[in-house]
Amino acid sequence: MTSYRLGSGGAINRGQSLSFTFDGRTYKGFEGDTLASALLANDQMLMARSFKYHRPRGVVTAGSAEPNALMTIGSGARAEPNARATVVELYNGLAATSQNRWPSLKRDFGAVNDLFSPFLGAGFYYKTFMWPGVFWEKLYEPLIRRAAGLGKIAMQADPDRYEKSWAHCDLLVIGAGPAGLMATLAAGRAGVRVILADEGFRFGGSLLSESAAVGGRPAAEFAAEVVEELASLPNVTLMPRTTVFGWYDDMVFGAVERVQKHVASPSPDLPMERLWRIVAKQAILAAGAEERPIVFGGNDKPGVMTAGAARTYLNRYGVAVGGKVAIFTNGGSGYRTAADLVAQGVDVTAIIDARPQSADPVPESIRVIHNGSVIATKGRHRIEGLIAERSGLEEVIGCDALAMSGGWSPIVHLMCQRGAKPVWSDEKQAFLAPDVGSAFAAAGAAAGRASLSECLKDGAAKAHAALDALGRLVGSIDIPEVEGEYDPAFAPLWYVPGARDKAFVDFQNDVHVGDLGLAQREGFRHIEHTKRYTTAGMATDQGKLGNVNTAAIVAGMRGVSPAEIGTTTFRPFYTPVSFGALAGAARAERAAPVKTSPLHGWARKNGAAFVESGLWYRSAWFPREGEKTWRESVDREVLNVRANAGLCDVSTLGKIEIFGRGAAEFLDRIYSNGFLKLPVGRARYGLMLREDGIVFDDGTASRLSENHFVMTTTTAYAAEVLTHLEFSAQTFWPELDVRFVSSTDQWAQMSLAGPKARIIMSRVVQDDISDAAFPFLAAREVTLRGGLKARLFRISFSGELAYELAVPAGYGEAVADAVMDAGHEEEICAYGVEALNVLRIEKGHITHSELDGRTTADDVGLGRMMAMQKPDFIGKRLSTRFGLTAADRLQLVGLKPIEADKDIKAGAHLLKDGAKPSLANDQGFVSSACFSPTLGHFIALAMLKSGRERIGERIMVWDGLRGSEVPCEVCPPVFVDPENSKLHL
Amino acid sequence: MASLITCPHCGTRPKEEFSIRGAAAPKRPSPTAKDEAWHRYVYVRDNPKGRYEEYWHHEAGCRRFLVVERDNLTHEVFGVTDAAEFKRGGAAE
Amino acid sequence: MSIHLLHRHVLEDHISGFETDPNPNHLSVIRRPVIFSVLARAGHEAEVAEALWNAEDVAPRLCGPYEWLAVSRTVGAETVEAMLSEIANASVIDQSDGRVLMEISGPGVRKILAGCVAVDLHPEVFEEGRSATMLCCHAAANIARTGKDTFEIIVPRSLAGSVFEALMEMGREHALTRGFAD
Repeated sequence: MTSYRLGSGGAINRGQSLSFTFDGRTYKGFEGDTLASALLANDQMLMARSFKYHRPRGVVTAGSAEPNALMTIGSGARAEPNARATVVELYNGLAATSQNRWPSLKRDFGAVNDLFSPFLGAGFYYKTFMWPGVFWEKLYEPLIRRAAGLGKIAMQADPDRYEKSWAHCDLLVIGAGPAGLMATLAAGRAGVRVILADEGFRFGGSLLSESAAVGGRPAAEFAAEVVEELASLPNVTLMPRTTVFGWYDDMVFGAVERVQKHVASPSPDLPMERLWRIVAKQAILAAGAEERPIVFGGNDKPGVMTAGAARTYLNRYGVAVGGKVAIFTNGGSGYRTAADLVAQGVDVTAIIDARPQSADPVPESIRVIHNGSVIATKGRHRIEGLIAERSGLEEVIGCDALAMSGGWSPIVHLMCQRGAKPVWSDEKQAFLAPDVGSAFAAAGAAAGRASLSECLKDGAAKAHAALDALGRLVGSIDIPEVEGEYDPAFAPLWYVPGARDKAFVDFQNDVHVGDLGLAQREGFRHIEHTKRYTTAGMATDQGKLGNVNTAAIVAGMRGVSPAEIGTTTFRPFYTPVSFGALAGAARAERAAPVKTSPLHGWARKNGAAFVESGLWYRSAWFPREGEKTWRESVDREVLNVRANAGLCDVSTLGKIEIFGRGAAEFLDRIYSNGFLKLPVGRARYGLMLREDGIVFDDGTASRLSENHFVMTTTTAYAAEVLTHLEFSAQTFWPELDVRFVSSTDQWAQMSLAGPKARIIMSRVVQDDISDAAFPFLAAREVTLRGGLKARLFRISFSGELAYELAVPAGYGEAVADAVMDAGHEEEICAYGVEALNVLRIEKGHITHSELDGRTTADDVGLGRMMAMQKPDFIGKRLSTRFGLTAADRLQLVGLKPIEADKDIKAGAHLLKDGAKPSLANDQGFVSSACFSPTLGHFIALAMLKSGRERIGERIMVWDGLRGSEVPCEVCPPVFVDPENSKLHL
Repeated sequence: MASLITCPHCGTRPKEEFSIRGAAAPKRPSPTAKDEAWHRYVYVRDNPKGRYEEYWHHEAGCRRFLVVERDNLTHEVFGVTDAAEFKRGGAAE
Repeated sequence: MSIHLLHRHVLEDHISGFETDPNPNHLSVIRRPVIFSVLARAGHEAEVAEALWNAEDVAPRLCGPYEWLAVSRTVGAETVEAMLSEIANASVIDQSDGRVLMEISGPGVRKILAGCVAVDLHPEVFEEGRSATMLCCHAAANIARTGKDTFEIIVPRSLAGSVFEALMEMGREHALTRGFAD
């Protein structure tokens, strides 16, 4: 037996035994265990294979910085790769699988890489997979991809739910160790809103791992009492299992809460994880410090771990990491671990201290080797001994675990995520948190405080400073007495020379000291270059253990201070965050909100096929029995509108109510054409330009009363146009009395078009709508038979006699039904946006296919809508620039195929007859095309160079993408009823 | 993840509620101004690093255009004004 | 020919009928509220606001410095329109069909809404009677605190289905029930 569970002790519930599996074998652990502590309790030290060399690995830490013990948890769709066994909370039925090994963890074929390691140094990929170039895609990349990565992701959809939430507080405390608990207690008692977040499942941090007494009771008991008090305060929110992973602008913190990761059968009503955005007025980082490994030969052998980790397994989980433990240290932590082990009856074989002398108390009868170092370790799947060296003399010391302590690095990542760099301290031999302003401070070990009592004191002090900043400081809280704490002071020890085996700096990426030297020799000297060349500090742990050693070793090689080398950039996320948590509930059908028209139900009833248009679902066509293709439906709808009548949902058009004495003047400045003299009760087609003279959008505005207009916009530009109006009114002409509000959602709007439209509409509307009483472009409030007030507009996009009827949205479906009933004898049909598109192309009406951000009013044949006599309108000034008035601009024309059975596709380019396809020969392009059932052949709208002069010319429509060439004749863009006789029926 | 803007009308809100429209300083020239003035207004922006006045439209809130004065490097916000106030205050040249 | 027209609520596709056994956390949909947009002429916002706050049977909801929603659950649209038209220097327009009014209440209401809005709804920050337009489940919504644990949510009709489903999703943990109020 090497590592084992102690007979008593630890913050675990020995009454609650849990069963779990690792690589198919069943083990037992206790409630309160992590997967790592439970495996150690079962003497399973070998937990993983390293990334590159496939070396056997165990745990190095007992926390979130763990680089080695990565496993896949769960199976099937819930399998999660690269979970750190040191932070996975044990639950009944947990199934863990080791990674990066074949066929098994003990016998791993990939370990052959270790033998070839002289050829696999840093930069191996860059140098080896260079040439020949053709090998890259076929050979190298597949090869590298197969070898890369540790775990494998599940390929099935994630079955779990995720949520995102916001939280707000006066003070956010990150980390629930001694400093964090004291800070929260001070702020909690002062009555401010505090959130305490900790990545672990149990609050207390190092208090759970240390053997000291606080306030006259064991540290863990003290922590439990504080937590109990905090839980009773309504102004304090405790967030266990919550990692604060990022600090963002304006004191917003990102955090992820693992709501059900530790639950054997998760509830479908709870999220698996929840992403938090925490808005804090003040924040305290009490994340503690990371104990640094020592870089010596063979320091990656299973059983070699930090002294603090060994202490945590012992004191918190009641697990001895070995039966015979050796210590290699340069400070007090190693001695404390030795003392704690001895107190639990564990054999400590020697303390090897790199320093010449020390004042740390040595447990009775334990041998100390000062000025000593470890140069190699023995054993394969577990350490079996070490070779110690002192003054040139080597000695083999037997052990089955080695606890190492290379000093402490404050965990300051969050405070460095917005650009500030950590600051090197010669005194502390560590990088400390930068000054990031008064709202965010480090406390306790994260601030470089060494001892437990200093951490408690500092936590309270930082909370008092925060309360003072909040104006809520009412007095200070008492700091409890600490008994039996140790002094964690240490001397710097960056690496141990004379290593007989690889001395790893970055365990996760298999980066050893030799790699760092190679990077320096080959010119990758900047720490960011060193990182990328060697991969030190990459992947899931982002160098939490190795970065400081890396910087100091590189500094040593270059003969400078670590201050000069600095660290690489700390970015969110502090630890990995799942995509599920980042997506929250926004997945599958909830990936984006859906907008539904008030006539959606009517369209559905009539069998519509829907199309997504922005966030809207619009009715595209209405297939009838026997129709096999969408074209059959669309052709029928078009012909029926031209012959009889059709009803189309146009509710998605933007509608904006415009009020005020300056409303007409405002519209006159917004549209290129005049609106001042628009009579009440009339609609007008209007063109809006951008300030650069290009057309922005088109639509209608109707004057409902002297100072009340309603504007319609295209569906696509509804939001943009409202914003454009607001910008113009608020920033150009705030003195104009004009105000507006969107009423798009208020109205169900339907277009009734066709020669029989009036007969049908007159059966629905009470008012006289004869041509005399309600002529083309009439627009006013009407009353439906039955009394409902509605708005009626005589406007037409199809070229037919047409009305747009707007009714309050809730009545939309009923009114549409009534119109369909009223038009039954006239053979009214429902038609969708596809038919609408055909109708408008036949009529030569433009949409955003033509108004593509490059066209002027003149380009699309609307030059007459430029009311240049107006003193000002948006776009007027630059519309007369040379480039926008040139004679060879692309102009709107129609196209029809010379052979009637040929089809034209939008996007095709235009060439002079006989010209070769080239950029120089490009004459323009097809903007819209469709089959015209009215004419019996394809037609198109196109933008053609000097197009209007070229009516009658034969031109080639060349579609390089789809490989077609169709000779066409250039014609005027209006194919149907150019005299507009149908509009005025 | 987020950043916050304090709207003078609505209070502190996440950036998702806003859309940014760029420099607030350029002022729309008179219709009779020279070509050069219009060219500058429509096409030329200084794009400075540091302190900057920008239009932020509070689209999902009060729908007012705001002028946010902030450091575009550090995102330190110095002030937020309603655009109409800003114009009346004559802050732009 | 007289046409009998049936009014249909957009959420009828999502819920049917009255919840006879609501849980402590409940989302209630008001079937036919009266909601008007009220826009003040610049320079007259204070007097319009005052008139709105003094109006009977109407609860004003703040949208912006010149804009409010006037909400009533007790009187009809004609009455409200007549009353609002009396206010000088204000423009009013009926939005009763363009907005959906929901009321969410219960002990878990703030936790549910924290998943939907970024605004701090703590009672000391967002007091009873307060209202504002804010992003709620990707829609610009007007949210008002109408009680200690009660909020009114007004969203555009076209997005109401999405917002409703998102609210229910966030309410799952809190056993949120839903139904029409009448």
